[in-house]
Amino acid sequence: MIISYSRGMKQGFLSILPLAAGAALYGFAFGVLAAQIGFPWWGVALMSGVVHAGSSQIVAVEQFGSHGFVLGAVLAGAALNLRYLGIIASLSEVLRDVPLRVKLLAIHITGDENWALTMARRAHDPAIGAPFLIGSGLTMITVWVTSTSAGALIGGAIPDLEGYGLGFAFTAAFIAMARAMWRGQRMVLPWAVTFVVTLGLVQAGMGAAYAIVLGSLVGVLMAQMRRAHRGETA
Amino acid sequence: MSSAEWLLIGLLAVASYGVRLAGLIGGRAIAVNPRLKPFLDDLPGCLVVGLVASSLAGAPMVTWLAAMVALAVAIASNNVVVTMAAGLAAIVLGHYLAGL
Repeated sequence: MIISYSRGMKQGFLSILPLAAGAALYGFAFGVLAAQIGFPWWGVALMSGVVHAGSSQIVAVEQFGSHGFVLGAVLAGAALNLRYLGIIASLSEVLRDVPLRVKLLAIHITGDENWALTMARRAHDPAIGAPFLIGSGLTMITVWVTSTSAGALIGGAIPDLEGYGLGFAFTAAFIAMARAMWRGQRMVLPWAVTFVVTLGLVQAGMGAAYAIVLGSLVGVLMAQMRRAHRGETA
Repeated sequence: MSSAEWLLIGLLAVASYGVRLAGLIGGRAIAVNPRLKPFLDDLPGCLVVGLVASSLAGAPMVTWLAAMVALAVAIASNNVVVTMAAGLAAIVLGHYLAGL
């Protein structure tokens, strides 16, 4: 049992490496940006270790850097993480037979990449389970903490990059996140409404954090109305 | 670090683990709840679009153009790092051309 457990973890560790390389680049870029906003490298390392959620961290740090409003930044970051309700829920079978303390660790080290890889492999091979998830998850969190800290070390050593338009890297990251969340034509209406409403509210002088939440809620409402109109179920 | 930065990290960690724990305890019931599911499905995407809108509000033309370049690259590549690099290159080039 122990041998097969460690073999499963090793398999997870090796299989995730290509995806971990991609996450390392993203983590490095996030670290540079966080350092430019004023976080020390060890603060970035701490955040990556205890939060372990790339898009949440980038959104929260950008909102904090732009507006200095802690609660708004946390809410924006946490709301982006709501997808983990579904992700963790889908692991109930994988984690069914592991002790509680291992479950509590496994849910923290699970990220988009190792979750998706575990589920994809498990679909073909039912023997893939908790050891694979944990092995790949330990790799991902280690790579994430290391790459973000390395980025912050470099970012803290170079002068103010904001003058070169570095802040735009955040906007570009958000655009890329939206692209990854695109699920077809049905997103057009809610996203267009969110964009226009948020833009209008900020232009009218509303604080960005409130404008984003209000604009997004109007967008979600539009999506619901569209579904109701078409008689679709979610 | 300032107390605000400590608070940000602490609250974000609690919120992040809280969502995961909720997924572990009541996840399936929450995730398939017909009232909550559409909200959980739609909110993250709308929030990201709202973030893009707020960062472009009142920005100069060069930023909007760079955003369009980033969008085109994002559609083609579906890769965060490639999109960030292309967006940065576009805005640096834009500022350079505007300064000529």
